[in-house]
Amino acid sequence: MTTSANETEWLQQARKGDQAAFGRLVVAYQTPVYNLSYRMLGNRGEAEEASQEAFLRAYTRLHTYDPNRPFRSWMLSIASHYCIDLLRKRRITWLSFEDEIAVPGGSTENNTVATRTHLASRSPNPEAVVARKEQEAQIQQLLTVLSPTDRAAITLRYWYDYSYQDIAKTLNLTISAVKSRLHRARRGLAKKIQEDGDNEL
Amino acid sequence: MNCKQANKMLSLRLDDRLDSEEVALLENHLAGCSACQAEWHSLQALDSLLSSAPMVQPPVRMRVQVMARLNRRDQARRAIIGGTTLTLGTVALALLALAPAILNLLNAPGIVPALVSGGPGTAVQLVAFAGTMGRTLWVLAEQFVLPLVSLGMCSLVMALVLNRLWMRAVRRLQ
Repeated sequence: MTTSANETEWLQQARKGDQAAFGRLVVAYQTPVYNLSYRMLGNRGEAEEASQEAFLRAYTRLHTYDPNRPFRSWMLSIASHYCIDLLRKRRITWLSFEDEIAVPGGSTENNTVATRTHLASRSPNPEAVVARKEQEAQIQQLLTVLSPTDRAAITLRYWYDYSYQDIAKTLNLTISAVKSRLHRARRGLAKKIQEDGDNEL
Repeated sequence: MNCKQANKMLSLRLDDRLDSEEVALLENHLAGCSACQAEWHSLQALDSLLSSAPMVQPPVRMRVQVMARLNRRDQARRAIIGGTTLTLGTVALALLALAPAILNLLNAPGIVPALVSGGPGTAVQLVAFAGTMGRTLWVLAEQFVLPLVSLGMCSLVMALVLNRLWMRAVRRLQ
C-alpha cells in the first residue's frame, strides 16, 4: 500500500511542525495502528494508550521517516516495536493474561457506530453476533500464548497480509527466522485449540 | 519425504510459498500419513479462524487525544527550556557580580607564582603547589562561603520564582 498524494502533503506539513496535518494522518492510520496494538496487547484500554504513544513517537521521529517507504509500514513498525517492548516488560502478566476481551460489534464501553465491524453490522442476526464475539474472544485468548515477537509476526501476517520480507523488515528478523517463527507459532496455536477443545469435552 | 520434512512445509503451504513440485511431494506424504494429515487439518482450521477476524476499530476520540498529548508535551518542553534559560541566566548574573571578588583573590600574593612555578618537576614542588592551593581554598572558603551561600540561595529563589511565573505565562498562552 502506498502513501496517497494527500498524505504525502500532510506528511510534509507535519514535518514542518503542523500538528493539524499530523492529526489528519492519525485519522488515516488509526485503524491499522489500533488493531495491531489490540492484537498485541489483548485489551482495548491498553491498545488505545499504546496507539496514542506510537503516534506521539512517530511525530517526534518524523525527520527520520524515509518518504520512499510507505508511511503505513513505518507507522506499523513503530507500533509493533512499542508493543513488543511493553509485553517484554510485563513478561509475568502476559503469561497469565485474563483481561477482559473486547469484541468488535460487542457492547463494550467505547462501542460507537465506528467501532462496529462491517461483518457484525451486516449481520443483525443475534446468533451470528454471538458467534462472532465468541470467535473474537477465542482469537485474543489464543494470541496471548505467543511470545511478543511471534505475536507480532502472526498479526502482521493475518491482519496486514504482510509477506515474509515485510515481516522480516518490520521486526528486524531474517526471512528464515520469520518462516520458523510463523511455523512454530501456528503449531503452538493449533495445539492450544486442540487442548481447549479437549478441556471442553 | 519424512514427517519432519513434511511438517516444516505445512506453514509454508498455508502462505503459498511452495512450488508445484513441493506441493505434489507434500500431498503425496499427507495421503499416506494420518498424523501429518491431522496436523495439516488443525493448521488449516487455525488459518481460517485467524483469516476470518476483521480489524477492530479504534475509539472515535483517538485524534483528539493524540493532539492533546502533543500539546501537553510541547507545553512542558517549552516550560522546561524557558525555566532552564532563566535559571542559567540568573546564575550567570550572580557569577558576574562575584567576578571582581574572584579576580581579587587571584591577585593575592602567592597564588599566581605558585601556579607558574609549581610545575611537575619535583615532588617537593608538587607538595608546595598542593599546599598553596589548599591554603587558597581555605581563604576562599573563609572569606566567601557566607556571601556565596547567601548569593546562591538568593539566585535560586529568584530562579524558582521566575520559573513559576514563566510556566504560568506559558500555560496561559496555550
